[in-house]
Amino acid sequence: MKTTAIRKQMTIHPEVMDVLNEQIAMEMHASASYLAMASWCDQRELLNSKSFFYKQAEEEREHAMKIFEFINDAGGAAVSPEVHNVNNDFESLRDIYERSLEQEINVTQSIYKCFKKARSVDDYASELFLQWFVNEQVEEEDTMRSILDVFDLMEGMPLKMIDERLPKE
Amino acid sequence: MNVNALVEPAIQLQEITFCKYQLTTVNKNIVLTFPQLLQLRTNINKLGTHDSVCDIIDNDNFVLLFVADKQHLIYLDIPQLLSLKNTIDSFFSPFKSVLF
Ligand SMILES: [Fe+2]
Repeated sequence: MKTTAIRKQMTIHPEVMDVLNEQIAMEMHASASYLAMASWCDQRELLNSKSFFYKQAEEEREHAMKIFEFINDAGGAAVSPEVHNVNNDFESLRDIYERSLEQEINVTQSIYKCFKKARSVDDYASELFLQWFVNEQVEEEDTMRSILDVFDLMEGMPLKMIDERLPKE
Repeated sequence: MNVNALVEPAIQLQEITFCKYQLTTVNKNIVLTFPQLLQLRTNINKLGTHDSVCDIIDNDNFVLLFVADKQHLIYLDIPQLLSLKNTIDSFFSPFKSVLF
């Protein structure tokens, strides 16, 4: 078998690198989006929700960095993404958590897409790397769902009382 | 019409040594390192999307592209752009896992 010139330079498959770069953009967008939510909560003195979303914003950036470093460590080229269309306009606290769940579901689907790509081109290292993200997404979605359950249970209660029952991180 | 057959000799990409690559255009020989080659691939893939090509056709009908860490500027009309995209694609396509 002849190893190609490209394979000697990079271990990550170029097509996997492309979808992972898209994933970086998605994680950075999620981070920016959570930051907008944190600001909405911060301005309304919703203390638990505010720290929850600041934390989420940080975590999403960490996810992006994890992928960023993985690509470069594997000999590829990580791309610092453009982040646009960040929504800063929300109807209510519940609306924010509903959007968060929707965002997490989209991220999960996108992780699956990367995973499938890695598997289809036999890029085992990337597939293993992505397993952590698959598990992480199960947790993220679960957190958002449990918060929405609290909203259902406490329907009609004052917003600040609901906020006091929500996790800080 | 086979566009590639017409312009293929115009732009070529070769591996010279382990980490040096050469891009040959109509009037230039440009030596690229591997990170520069990856950057070229990223830029060409961005320019070569359907929307971007339509956009180029609607405007100047050509693009100027910096290569090799902005040391060179190359002129690409649409056939050259598509040809270069194909060349780079095929350069990266025989990527095989060591298992095979
Ligand atoms: Fe994430």
